[in-house]
Amino acid sequence: MPFVKVIVKTIIVAQLGFLTLFGLTFNLAFAQTAEERGTEIAIAADQRDSGWKHITADMEMILRNRAGRESRRKITNRQLEVDGDGDKSLSLFKQPKDVAGTAMLTFSHGLVADDQWLFLPSIKRVKRISSKNKSGPFMGSEFAFEDLASQEIEKYTYKLLREEACGEGYQCYVIERIPQYESSAYKRQITWIDKDQYRNIKVEFYDRKDSLLKTLEMTGFKEYAGGYWRADRFEMTNHQTGKSTRLNWKNYDFESPLDDQDFSQNALKRLL
Amino acid sequence: MKTSIWLASPIAGFVLFLGAPIIVHGIEFGYTVEIEARGYTENAPNPARFDSNFAISIEPEFKHSFNGGDTLFTFTSFGRWDNNDDARQHIDIRELNVVHVAGNWETLAGLGKVFWGVAESNHLVDVINQTDFLEGIDGEDKLGQPMLRLSRAFDQSALTLFALPGFRERKFLSIKNPIALPCEVNNKPEYESDDGDNHVDYALRFSGYRGIVDYGFSWFHGTSRDPIFNCVSRRIPFYALIDQYGLEVQTTSGAWLWKLEAIRREFDHSTAADDFTAVVGGFEYSFYGMSDGLFDLGVLAEYHHDSRGNRATVVFQNDLFIGLRLGFNDAESSEVLAGAFIDRDDQTSSFRIEASRRTGKIFWADSRISLEAQAFSNVDPGNISFSLRHSDFVLLSLTLFF
Repeated sequence: MPFVKVIVKTIIVAQLGFLTLFGLTFNLAFAQTAEERGTEIAIAADQRDSGWKHITADMEMILRNRAGRESRRKITNRQLEVDGDGDKSLSLFKQPKDVAGTAMLTFSHGLVADDQWLFLPSIKRVKRISSKNKSGPFMGSEFAFEDLASQEIEKYTYKLLREEACGEGYQCYVIERIPQYESSAYKRQITWIDKDQYRNIKVEFYDRKDSLLKTLEMTGFKEYAGGYWRADRFEMTNHQTGKSTRLNWKNYDFESPLDDQDFSQNALKRLL
Repeated sequence: MKTSIWLASPIAGFVLFLGAPIIVHGIEFGYTVEIEARGYTENAPNPARFDSNFAISIEPEFKHSFNGGDTLFTFTSFGRWDNNDDARQHIDIRELNVVHVAGNWETLAGLGKVFWGVAESNHLVDVINQTDFLEGIDGEDKLGQPMLRLSRAFDQSALTLFALPGFRERKFLSIKNPIALPCEVNNKPEYESDDGDNHVDYALRFSGYRGIVDYGFSWFHGTSRDPIFNCVSRRIPFYALIDQYGLEVQTTSGAWLWKLEAIRREFDHSTAADDFTAVVGGFEYSFYGMSDGLFDLGVLAEYHHDSRGNRATVVFQNDLFIGLRLGFNDAESSEVLAGAFIDRDDQTSSFRIEASRRTGKIFWADSRISLEAQAFSNVDPGNISFSLRHSDFVLLSLTLFF
């Protein structure tokens, strides 16, 4: 990922340099476009959240239908930051119990298709699966696979729309981002990023017909070892179906070491 | 109740333990209970055969991780009561092992289960565990195999060595069962090895991935898990010594999965049986988000070949499998699998459909209900599945996960 970041940054710096030169020559005021500013903020946010190396956390997912009926899922997650590529992640399903022990290993690669394996505990089978289903719902929830995927800079183009107050008293950049990866369900997303710590506070998802489909709101931010911020609660509301899904994050651990062998096909078979 | 040598007492101990599942950090205990009712839809030609059966099974599982997660102890057992088939009444240990990880090395000692392969409709290269046909005829259920396993992981691959002391013979359904073989099987099998069922088998597998390709190469030397047996000339199952070489490849690109498995089985003594080669290969293609995201549809096709042709002792010697997989995107994870096998020599066909969905809490357990049906048509008298021609059935089961 830093490799990609370096490229993007170089392009931006080159563009800024060019524009500055241009500005000086023609005696124009500072002429950074909304796209450049948006990209710059996205890069800054990404850099703020780089260098964590490894994380484990537990996720509780509460699905709510229009009538208010709830069902729950529990998943434990581990993530490994990879230099020069997308992150590795491993999710172990705990509940509902008919899928307990099932685990998914993902090596994300930004715009290139992710490598993904599924472990089926009843027959001890590790199976390579297609990662093309970006827009499908994750475990019947309002989160699509792409909403929970590793977020690399090159997956979107950015544009700063405005700056305004948002969330629990934050000052935010409002950035429109357009997915550049294949098979996305979205025409565009609008994200609110707080100016202070560059945290994602809110995201609006617009479907292919450009109607508002879902809103995601993050609350209960905590700072963890190394100065990394994580929200305790993600609330995703689907405006078209009236369904919603809440994620409660627990037991964030940035310190217990993990390496490549914790993200291998062998590792899938020995999880608890 | 017929109890195998695989320790009855720990299971009794576990049954006493049954209560709320334990989830303490580093310890997990849970159990599943399955209730099934099966009805055979045709009148059997043999009046001694039963036309329905009812069964309850239980599978407790205990896991304990220690050494900061580097060591994992697993114990899984299984027991079933069946109202009509005594052979299906049994207790077994599926897993009783310790796995230890140290850097790139992993060791496992005890009774374990191993899966090799990529294909969906038949598992050719998967040779380590004995198949348990008492649970189902799809070959997905396995008996725990005593083993010492040593694995060295590399960047994108792993080399695994197996020493397999002790052999587990195949169990057969009682003759009253419509899906059983048409003759009584002698329960004193013969072995080619002088050590009988104590011969130590060895296996080696190198597996990994590179880009879109996942691969595995394997070699097995020891007592074949498949007995040589038939109802005409050989009613005593004979377990020969074999060398088996296996190859498995899958490519995953977009929504396409292409799969190939091949084996070469060589018998140590040519008098036992003919050496042969068998292949299964095909594809799976998925349509995602059909009908406004309501479901995903997977289409599968696999071809089976066996170099022995009509002399093959297996069903799949020149057969085609077509399958559909419907996965609904609902909170109940509703699922429908449908498949058909067609013998390209004699047009013998079999069909199978499985539908299941999550059904909420029963007591404090999560539950899932499942409906399964299987039918044969056009069965040729020369086909190995001729005895199954009147064994069409419907199976309803409810599984509780405690």
